Formats: sequence, structure tokens, C-alpha cells
Amino acid sequence: MGKHEEELARELQRRGMSRRDVLRIGLRMGLGAASMGMLLAACGKTASTEPTKQADAGGAAADPTSESIFDITAGDTGAWPKSAIAEPGDKIEISVGHTWDAVFFERQLQFDKLFMQRHPNITVKAENTPWGEYRQKYTAAAAGNAMPDILYTQFSWAQETIRSGLYIALDDYIAKEKDFNLADFTKPSLVSYQYDGKLWGIPYDEGPGNLYYNKDLFDAAGEAYPDDSWDLEKLKAVAIKLTKGEGPNKIFGLGELPSPGDSLMAPNYLFPFGAQYLSEPKEDECLINKPEAVTAMEWWEELRTKGAIPSPADLQNVAWPAFQFGKIAMTLQGSWATPPIQAGSKFKWDIAKWPKGPKAHTTFSAGSAYMITRDSKHTDAAWLYMNEYLSTAGQTYMWASTGRGSPSRLSAWPAYLGSKFAPAGAKNVEEAMSTGIGTHDILDQPTGPRVTQAAGPIWDLVVAGQKSVKDALNDVFAAVDPIIAENRK
Amino acid sequence: MTNAQPTPITTPPKGKPKIGGMARKEERSFYLFILPWIIGFLLFDAGAIIASFGISFTNWSALSAPAYVGTLNYSRLIADQVFYKAMGNSLYYGLGSVGLGTIVSFLLALLLNQNVWGMSLFRTIFYLPSVVSGIAVAILWIMILHQDFGLINSFLAWFGIKGPGWLVQPQWAMPSLILMSLWSAGGSMVIYLAGLQSVPTHLYEAAEIDGADTFQKFWTVTVPMMSPVILYNLIVGFIASIQGFVTVYVMTNGGPANATLVYGLYIYRTAFINFQMGYASALAWVLLVVIILITVVQFIVARYWVYYEGDLKS
Repeated sequence: MGKHEEELARELQRRGMSRRDVLRIGLRMGLGAASMGMLLAACGKTASTEPTKQADAGGAAADPTSESIFDITAGDTGAWPKSAIAEPGDKIEISVGHTWDAVFFERQLQFDKLFMQRHPNITVKAENTPWGEYRQKYTAAAAGNAMPDILYTQFSWAQETIRSGLYIALDDYIAKEKDFNLADFTKPSLVSYQYDGKLWGIPYDEGPGNLYYNKDLFDAAGEAYPDDSWDLEKLKAVAIKLTKGEGPNKIFGLGELPSPGDSLMAPNYLFPFGAQYLSEPKEDECLINKPEAVTAMEWWEELRTKGAIPSPADLQNVAWPAFQFGKIAMTLQGSWATPPIQAGSKFKWDIAKWPKGPKAHTTFSAGSAYMITRDSKHTDAAWLYMNEYLSTAGQTYMWASTGRGSPSRLSAWPAYLGSKFAPAGAKNVEEAMSTGIGTHDILDQPTGPRVTQAAGPIWDLVVAGQKSVKDALNDVFAAVDPIIAENRK
Repeated sequence: MTNAQPTPITTPPKGKPKIGGMARKEERSFYLFILPWIIGFLLFDAGAIIASFGISFTNWSALSAPAYVGTLNYSRLIADQVFYKAMGNSLYYGLGSVGLGTIVSFLLALLLNQNVWGMSLFRTIFYLPSVVSGIAVAILWIMILHQDFGLINSFLAWFGIKGPGWLVQPQWAMPSLILMSLWSAGGSMVIYLAGLQSVPTHLYEAAEIDGADTFQKFWTVTVPMMSPVILYNLIVGFIASIQGFVTVYVMTNGGPANATLVYGLYIYRTAFINFQMGYASALAWVLLVVIILITVVQFIVARYWVYYEGDLKS
């Protein structure tokens, strides 16, 4: 196994990737069978094969939290909220379903350890499941009435699962807590978790898409770093300029292009040109084949024809995730991408705001939440956990002090901006949210997955150079319109 | 002169014929051998199969209680363009991989049925790919089919031909998977080899006496005697191909542009990405019916070309 594969194996171990994830990465990299075998073996030792871990409250020798890049006491302000809910009289166990990368799961175990020290009668069992398997696992658990007490939920499936009755409403608990302060949450963060006049989940983050950039590649090209003066024309020009080389050594100026197969596409790639994908927020009309949308998508496609983003064949050549391996100069990512980039990148990098377009300055804003499930046998204890986990102190400990960013509580943002793990440009994240650049107008209706599944294969023909943008967008309209008809009812 | 008495015609006993002790022992062994499979089937499969039939008449996301919708899921199939695409892809893959695989594995078996030194080693070498795990094979074939550095395109480049993007261009993706399916030809090759070795040599001797040349012996002796084995491989191979999933999921995940979206993958997506369990169950039952129909057609057509030793052909 070469040095490169060894590094990759260590990285994959840290990220807790499943064998399936590793396989995909390996295939894209074009790794040899022997190397792949080693990687798969390495991955077998990660959290993905042992998804359930329990933080050691007593601090025993084999402490999983000691492996973390984060110090266990750092970020603990001690300002934990006092709850109106009584502590359990007997020892009980609550289970929590997460889908963290391995770097952040270590932080999770640190939080749980400290929580159990504060609540000796509550044992927290953390279940960490790779992202790609998370929904399947917990949908099966829901069918068997065997969900954990608390469950991570992403915006894109929140409404569907709320309407299916998987969770309990949290309004009664919130009403009892005089310090909870719902007004402290950013408005976009709550959108996906409200239904029928009730709140079914507490968001932990809501963050904008940011422009991550590789400073070393910019320095090598003598190019100035992205700043607030940038517009999308500048982004395109610099992306083309930074594209260099051939084959496995090629450097790409930009990591990705818009695809109607992406539920987050519109705010970054269409809104700046005055175009839309679906009418938001009801998503009951498809606008993707309107002239302004066609023009916008054709504008972006020029980057593909110039070779400034990886083609499907290039994706088999370059190491993936390409940004972490220094093969991509700029990429659009949510702030949650920070810890893995922090841990895995061997170059200088930073983040800037997504540049403004000719008609608007917008970027996607998305987030996730935790919910108490209908299967919970210890809802009071689950609430005690949620109340602390998602309090200002909890968000500071978990998301602000670690540099992951975009906490859903406004009161936790200062700690993020002051974190040594946050990138130098962290203020851009905060400003994107506070100035309204970040918008939650993304596909989050239950029809979203079917829309993107129908549109993605059509767009493949554009990527393969076998269909014009205009024809493809007309086909997307024809495929999507019947799906979103149910949103018109 | 004796009066020969006609042999009395005895009526065979009604009901189950009596079997001897050895046959009873053999019968017991048969049931003992298949018992683990039967237990496994009853415990893990039968319930799910029956349940899926019931689920196919419901709208069920697995998140809440199923709602009975009658035959709605089945009528929905008619308007579902992706259903036709997936079914067409599966039939394309099945016909391509089984057709090509039958020719290649049969020819390999003929080659490896020669009496030359080291034949056991050759047989092992040709069979070996069949026992390599599907994932490893997928990785290997990504290399072989790579647009820029792959073995095939490098070979084509020697002749000045620019090879296509095998797995990334919609029109080449399925042919690539069919080509790749030859990798496991060793499995059916072994079955052909066993069949070839059981062809009685006196048939070849009789053909030689009749003046048959090599091709005539192959066409009039080998092929008819092997026809039941060919039929078996065609039926089993086609059923396996049309249910194919793992390789496609790993290598292309149905893309590009749904060019390799096979039926099994569509069922998986419908069930575990879209969580439409009722529709996915209906898709699965339609697949079963299609497989049964194709198998019945294969058996009917077999009457005209399959020769069973001892049978009288009408």
C-alpha cells in the first residue's frame, strides 16, 4: 500500500465511512484492487461497523473521547440550563441516533460523557450511522416501532417524517422551560420542523453554502483570494484560470456545477440570475425551462466546456473528496464541511461568501435538527438531553467551539467566530446569514427526492454532451411537473 | 407339444408404489439435505414474500400504517416510463450477458475438454475469476474500462482507435456491463465441462465411422447431447441476470442517464430511497411474473431444440 493510500486509509478511519462509501471513493480514484482491499480492511475498524458507542462517564483507560482533536473541556461554558423537568428517580438509558463523521462523533461522545456526569441517572447510548445508510436504518426501525429516543433529522425529510407521526410535538416541553427562548433561533432554522402549528424538532444548525478555497493554489497562480467584491463572472474567470494539468495531476478551478438532480441548486446557481427551479415555498410550479433559467444554466455550463470542473471520467482519475486532496481550487460547501476539511487537508484554506450574481446575491441555507420519537419510553429524560444539547451552552460546546459553525441559536454565534477551529473567514458565514444572503428556498417538500431523481438522469445527457441545456430543461419540466402536481392539491 | 398359457396380465397396485429399504434411506437423505434450505426459506423468505404480495395493494412508506389502495400500484406501472426503461435495461442485460456468456463459456468448455498436459491447471485458471468477490471484480473492471488509462482503450489506441468512455457515456455503459459479465463465465463453463465429459464416446466413434468431420461431430453429436445443459444454463443465467443488482449498484448506480438502471435497482430505489414500499412490492411481483413467462417460453421453445437421451422426438 502506497503512502497515498495509507494517508487515505487513516482519513477514512477518522471519518467513520462505511465500506460502501470507501468503495465509491476508491472507484472514483481508480485505486488498485490490493489498495482497495487494504482500505476496506482499514474501514472495517471504524465506527461504521460498530455504530453504537457509549461515552465512558467514569473516565476509564480506554476512553474513546480521548482520541478527539478537541479537548473535552474546551467550549464547556458551564452555563447549562436549569430544566423544569424533574430528573429520573431511577437509572435509565436513552438512545440517540446520529450520523456524524468520525471526527465529530468523538466530540459527540465527549458531550455525552459530560452530560452523564451532570445527570448520573441517565445513561446515553449514542448510535452513529453512516450518512448513506441512515434513512434506511431508521425507516426500518420506525416500521418496527423501535426508533431511538432521540433522532437526528435532516431538513429534506423532516416534513415527510413529521407528517407520518414519527415524533412528538415539543411545544409543551418548551412552554415549561422559562430559559428556552425560541426567539433566539434564526428564522430559517425552524422552517423545516414546523407543522400544524407545532414544533416537532429543535434545529442545531442552519448554515449557508460557502466558497471554500485552497489558498496554496491561489498563491501558486498569483491570484488574489475571493472577497466581497467578487461576482459570479469573477468566480468563473478565476476557476478557468486556476484549471491546470492533465489526467490524475489535473487541478480543477471549481468542484461542481449545478444539476437539477440537486435539491440545493437554485439559491446558488439560479436565483443570482433571476431564475428559479420550483416556485418556493409550495413547490407547486416548475420554472426550470423559463428563458432566464435556460440562460443561467447555459452560463454555468461554459465551465464544463472549458474543463474547469471534473467530468465523470475525471472523477475516476482524481482523489475524492477532491478538495481535501488539493485537486480543487474552489468548492461550494456548507459550513458543516469544516471539521473534515480541518482534519484532512494538508494545505492552507479559507472560506468566502458565495459571490453575487447580476440579479441577486443568494446562497442556500440548510440545516438539521433532533427530534424525540414516538417510540421513546423516557420522553422526559430525552427532553433533558435535548434541552442541554441544543441550548446556547450545548451549541457552543458542539458546533461553535469546534469551528463546525452555523449554530441555530444566535447566542452561540460569537463562540463560533472566536473558535480556534473556525476558518479565518468565519465571519462570512455569519454575515451570509445575518444579511439574508442565505435562503432556505431549497427543495424541502416531500416531493423533493422524486423531483431530483427524475431530473438527475436527464441532466446526465447534458454532462455527456448529448443534449442541449434547453432541451434537457424542457425534459426536466415534463418529468417534474407531474410529480409536483400533488403540491397543488 | 405343450399348450403355452398366456402370461396373466397383472394390474399394477394402486397408490404409491412400494419402495425398498435402500430407496427409503435415500428418500430420508434427500429430505435431510434439503431441510436446512427449507427451514431457512420458511423462517426468512416465505413470510416476506407473502407479506410483499399484500403490501403491493397498499400505499405504505414504512413510516406509518399502510393504506389499502387496491390495484392502484399495478395500474400505476402502465404510465411509469422509468418502469419500462428499467425493464428494457434488464432484458437488454439479460439477453446480452446470457447470450454472450453461453457462447463464450461453451467454447471455453470445449477448449478445456481436450486431453493435453496441464489441463487441470488451465481449468482452475479459467474458473478462478468466478470465485472472486463481486466488489473486487467491479474495481478491476473500472480499471479495464477506464476511458483514459483502461486496458481496453489502451489496446484500441495501438490501432489508432480512440476508445469511448465505457462507463460514463450512456450508449456504452450497458454494453460495458455485458462485457464485464463474461468475467464469471467460468461458473457455467464448469457445468458445460461436466456435460461434455458425460457425452458417450461411442457416439463420436459411430459418427467417425459414418465419415463425419470435426464440425459435423460437434453439430450432430455434441450440441444435441449438450442441449439440456445449455437450456439449464440459459434459464438459470437469464433469471440471475434479470435480477442483477450488486455490480450495477457499485459501478454505475444506474447511470449515466438511467442507461444502466436495471429492474432490481429500480425496486431498491423505490423501496429504500423513495420509501414507496407498496409500489416497490408491485414492481417485484411483476418481475416474478415476467420471469415465469420468459421461463415458460424458454421451456416451450426447448421442445424444438433440446434433445433428452432416451426420449422419442415427435
